[in-house]
Amino acid sequence: MTQASTITRTGQTKKTFNYRKFVRKSVSYFFLLLITCITIVPFLWTLSSSLKGEQDVIFSIPPQFIPSNITLDNFKTVWTTLPIPRYLLNSVFLTSFGIVLPLVLCSFAAYPLARMKFKGRNLIFMLIIATMMIPNEITMIPVYLVINKVGLMGSYAGVIITAAVTPLGIFLMRQGFMEIPREVEESAVIDGANVWQIFWKLMFPMVKPMLGVLAILSFIGAWNNFLWPLLILDDPNKYPITLGLYQLQGTFTANTRLIAAGAIIALLPIILVFVFLQRYFIEAAYSSSVKG
Amino acid sequence: MYKTRHAWGFLSIPLLLLFVFTFIPAIAAFILSFTNYNVFQPIEWLGLDNYMRAFQDEKFINAMFNTVKYWLMVTPALVVVPIFVAVLVNQKLRGIKIFRLIFYFPVLVSVVVTALLWKWMFAQEGIINYFLSLIGFEGVGWLINSTTVLPALAFVTVWQGFGYYMLFYLASLQGVPDALYESAELDGAGFWKKHLHITIPMIKPMIFFVAVISTMSAFKEFTLMLTMTKGGPLDASTTAVLLVFEEAFQRLDMGYASAISFILFIIILIITLINQKLLDKNPN
Repeated sequence: MTQASTITRTGQTKKTFNYRKFVRKSVSYFFLLLITCITIVPFLWTLSSSLKGEQDVIFSIPPQFIPSNITLDNFKTVWTTLPIPRYLLNSVFLTSFGIVLPLVLCSFAAYPLARMKFKGRNLIFMLIIATMMIPNEITMIPVYLVINKVGLMGSYAGVIITAAVTPLGIFLMRQGFMEIPREVEESAVIDGANVWQIFWKLMFPMVKPMLGVLAILSFIGAWNNFLWPLLILDDPNKYPITLGLYQLQGTFTANTRLIAAGAIIALLPIILVFVFLQRYFIEAAYSSSVKG
Repeated sequence: MYKTRHAWGFLSIPLLLLFVFTFIPAIAAFILSFTNYNVFQPIEWLGLDNYMRAFQDEKFINAMFNTVKYWLMVTPALVVVPIFVAVLVNQKLRGIKIFRLIFYFPVLVSVVVTALLWKWMFAQEGIINYFLSLIGFEGVGWLINSTTVLPALAFVTVWQGFGYYMLFYLASLQGVPDALYESAELDGAGFWKKHLHITIPMIKPMIFFVAVISTMSAFKEFTLMLTMTKGGPLDASTTAVLLVFEEAFQRLDMGYASAISFILFIIILIITLINQKLLDKNPN
């Protein structure tokens, strides 16, 4: 087996049936499928529970993987009797701001750091890099106290503002702006554009790839944000889906079917976005590693 | 063409926010750790009392032990397992890109949903115990048993994180020249020999990098415990940051909580520096 699962990189093509290659491929697919199972079984089990009617048991040994009668009742119940649609809307609202604000504000900070010469530039950049090393777990308490002091407790603004500017975002956008050639600005100056026009009309659209990376990182962070809504929001009408689910599982512990349906609903948007933008997600994952 | 006022014009708002929500809080947390503060009463200076108290506090010592135990389970797994997976998905096979995406997907799932999924998986009559029963083991109530709760949480962490580190190793593997493998094959090296003598040395810097970041995130983990077990049973899964969270936001003991978080910060810093030293010794 050890010999067979070798990764052949020689690329030799033999016309005859290659026994070793066949074994290597089979062993690889065996492991790939095994890991796939471990990865997706929790999702499939949840999906199956959400589609079960009252007559099917949820927990049993051996488990019942396929519902005897597939029904969408749980989804209907969750959608109409629980505030799930409300939670989803709140999540969409919070996530939109959670994406747009970092894009704009981190670009604002990154632009002069990448393109302008001024006193204190290096110092400011060093400070920003230094703040990257500070874990959020350290600043959590004072940030909470600040939000409390400035009267943002219970408001969306309090949730949004904590992640509006991130050192990582500034760092990424600075990389983006630095890649633009000097001539671009110079020709714009000759055409009589002012600084704001150069930034907004010319430079900002040119960093689209990096904006995409930052947008995806912000999307993941904002859609899954749980801690700050938990700490800041007190009105259940304002809860995003993550916090809503967390509260529902506390009150409806017995009804696994409904919570499972809720979990599937919460997963759908992220699955959809991932399927359509998969390439950018992988890119974003690499870019974020600079924080390590 | 640019003037200093332009630079500051752009920088002003983001810098202000960064100062108010990151920089000043970091300093404030340090100062707070020497005080007694519960939001409602005026702040009171305590000197080093919070730190003294921490080292005599059984809850804190227990939480530190839990954190270290959790780290010792999570980090080796997250350093080793993704190497294996990355080698697997680095092959030219049909559908390999789909496997990469599937393995990465759990990274994107909210901790709340992850907690729900795995609470059900680990239930007394859940899937995990079913699979164990197939190979002749008797199931346990994983999350309600103080000896099994941390391994269960560590397993969930590995499940959620291996795809993330797989990507890093994959990037690193793609930088290994094919010629190295070819010459090894000519010398008759098998699968394990090849990877032990070529892959591992070539991706060594990435292995250290993964060790560092998975260590830092293991030491900071608490939302998984908060959502899955609330630290229970009987504080058996209370990690250091979960204790910070409880002291700060449930008992409103902001000063003491800050002191704990600083002790933790210093431990993380030391581990990072040691790793950095090791990394410098092994330039590759």
